Amino acid sequence: MNRYFFYLFLFVALMNIMIFVPHILNDNRFDGSVAAILISPIFGSIMIYMFTNALSRFPGQGLPEIFSQYFPRWFTTAYMIFYAMMYWFSSTVVAMAFAVLINRFFNPDANVLIIMSIIVLASGYAATRSTLTVMLLIEIIIILNVPIILFIIFKMVTSPQLNLDSIHVVANYVWHWPSLASLAAATFIFTGYINLSLFNRLFPPNFRFKFLWMYPILGLIILLVTFFVPIGFHGSQGTAQYIYLWTITADSLMMQYGFIERVMFLFLIVFLNLSLVYTTAAWHQAMEFLKGCMPSMKPETDSPKAPISNYVILGIFTMASILYMVMVNENMNLAITTAWLIIRMFTEVATVATVFILSRRRLMPR
Amino acid sequence: MIERIKLLFAEAVDVKTALLSNGEASIEIAYLSSLCKEDKINNCIMVPFTKAEIPFSRHLETNPEYEQVEDPAKWQDMLLRGYVLIQSHSIIYSFLASDVISSDGSLTQVESAIQGPQLALSEDLNKSLNLIRSMYPSPELCVEQYTVGYESRTPLYILFDQRHVDSMVLDNVRSKLTSINADIVHAAGELEKLLVGKRLHLFPTVLITERPDRISRSIGKGKVVVLIKGSMFALILPATFFEFMHAIEDNYEAFWMTRFLIFLRFASIVLTITLPALYIAVVSYNPELFRVQLAFSIAASRSAVPYPSFIEVFIMLFMIETLIEASIRLPRYIGSTATTVGGLILGQAAQQAGLVSSIMIIVTSVVAISNFVIPINSMSFAIRFLKYPLIGAAIFFGLSGIAVGVFLYIVYLCNLRSFGKPYFRLHGKLNPAEGDIGGADIK
Repeated sequence: MNRYFFYLFLFVALMNIMIFVPHILNDNRFDGSVAAILISPIFGSIMIYMFTNALSRFPGQGLPEIFSQYFPRWFTTAYMIFYAMMYWFSSTVVAMAFAVLINRFFNPDANVLIIMSIIVLASGYAATRSTLTVMLLIEIIIILNVPIILFIIFKMVTSPQLNLDSIHVVANYVWHWPSLASLAAATFIFTGYINLSLFNRLFPPNFRFKFLWMYPILGLIILLVTFFVPIGFHGSQGTAQYIYLWTITADSLMMQYGFIERVMFLFLIVFLNLSLVYTTAAWHQAMEFLKGCMPSMKPETDSPKAPISNYVILGIFTMASILYMVMVNENMNLAITTAWLIIRMFTEVATVATVFILSRRRLMPR
Repeated sequence: MIERIKLLFAEAVDVKTALLSNGEASIEIAYLSSLCKEDKINNCIMVPFTKAEIPFSRHLETNPEYEQVEDPAKWQDMLLRGYVLIQSHSIIYSFLASDVISSDGSLTQVESAIQGPQLALSEDLNKSLNLIRSMYPSPELCVEQYTVGYESRTPLYILFDQRHVDSMVLDNVRSKLTSINADIVHAAGELEKLLVGKRLHLFPTVLITERPDRISRSIGKGKVVVLIKGSMFALILPATFFEFMHAIEDNYEAFWMTRFLIFLRFASIVLTITLPALYIAVVSYNPELFRVQLAFSIAASRSAVPYPSFIEVFIMLFMIETLIEASIRLPRYIGSTATTVGGLILGQAAQQAGLVSSIMIIVTSVVAISNFVIPINSMSFAIRFLKYPLIGAAIFFGLSGIAVGVFLYIVYLCNLRSFGKPYFRLHGKLNPAEGDIGGADIK
């Protein structure tokens, strides 16, 4: 069962590319990104350890249930609404980034809003399904796509165009104290564990989290690849010119054999799948948190029929996302994402600490 | 003896026990009706016993066909092999009355295997039960009888192994069977629709099979099997998507080859669903997807075609679908004519006339052939439909439309439940002490 926790970790870690983490890190590459990359596994592993440890004392319970046991209703409600907002933002940012990417590389003639609409409708429909469905969906998509990602990374790392000198140059800036934005961006890789705040409902009572040592190592590898491979391709100065850094990097590769020549197409299709899953998972959790505010709601992980409230909430989400797309341009989106990453880091620390303290209090004899 | 046998066996309609008495003596007999020839039992036990021309105990002692059974531990085994057990004056005798269906059964036609059992289920419930009982000789096999249909009164048997069966699934099936509201039920497919209850469904969630070996394997895995009278097919439920991809022969052949075959089936599913849509997307939206030489040869082969790619796709798919449909419906000796004529048109003439490109012909035949690779017919039918919505997506949104469409299919598959069990789920190793995901909810 630990593989399900692994998937939750992995799909968020891979999504860093869509949420501008490489771009933010590369913006700060001379002031502290490298240090942030090295600090974040420590931060991440402490967080993962605390959160899994705390949640193993609340088997089969999500965050809404845990909070409503200990806190007054107004606090839980406010917190859940805030949480749902955070989730909604992250996925909307991803969906918008992807709609722009598709418009730029796949269908230059199409209207961005229409592309955005199909993306949010598809993941909106997927998010109305039950929690178990979303979990199975994450598993299938990961298993289908990760081999292709590994292939792309393998091609990149072994490519003769990868200039180790520029990587070396940037790596030398390791002694610069990290800026807040770069730290927030780097720690995003490890944030997959926070999905447990809802998906913990699925785990059976006797479940034990194992192989926790693996996650910092895996995260560090992903982070190093995310940060250094584009630098190796574009040089220590050239990377700053791109926003969709990884798409461009993937486009600098060529497959000599086979039908498809440009790696970018593979890359885009893989990340389209991952973005859809990310949006689905985030919206599903946001929806469940909102439903957790209502006192009459009983948590269900696999209801045979989706309740109407699901459709209503997701309808609002999709409309809001399309509105966001209309109102916000790409520059603002980037600024909002950076702000979101920073707020996310602090929210997570607060949440993890709260749940951890609650779990300890539960142990103490009254 | 009878009480003891009732304890030994799970509740099954074909476990027959009787207490006979003819005024002078009384005997107890027990047998499995599905495994025995009832007329042999009549001739050799009932008639001599009731006529009582000589005392029946004498009969038992003299005729070597009645063997004395000393050890009660053997009862189960003997009953499952088609023996009749007779108790007279607290001595147990056995008598072989087994009815072995071998050459007189019908052969498999839909799901054939090269090496492996060739017999299919019978339209007669008892014969089917005989086949299954002889392949799954376990006292834990439960057999329950139901009838469905207000007019047709079709008898059904539900079979399951009471040690392995999931009680939730079983309750679900029982309640659904008792609440079926239909006048006439004849075919397994019809029953499947009534059991599943949803009118609009893309995928079969119940496996329909004619193979007794597949059935006995599934019973061993804890599934519920429904036999219906008058149909050679049985329902196995709950089913998962991966079982539909699994030909029964995969259990009988070499390991690596069968893994490769399973991979081949999945690859061909992907091809048969996406290829026509990909053709449209590549030709009309993203010719730069393929390497230049390939893009040029596609464009060159399309140079004589005067209309957009999706019309081309529609023409060819219409042809191939009608051809498949015609060759199924036609009597066997005309069928080959239809395929020859159709093959001629599809093969050369359409391309030379400039109606379609030669690449499209390859696409069409790949689509058709890969569709036939799927071992279970109902799944093959379901997959045949899936390409059309994707074609729609490709017409309007190109490649990204296809990717979103495939994603939606996966969502739909993950969302499906077959009698409460996830339909599209990879089963890894499960630690029974930990329990399954989603298990906390079910209580």
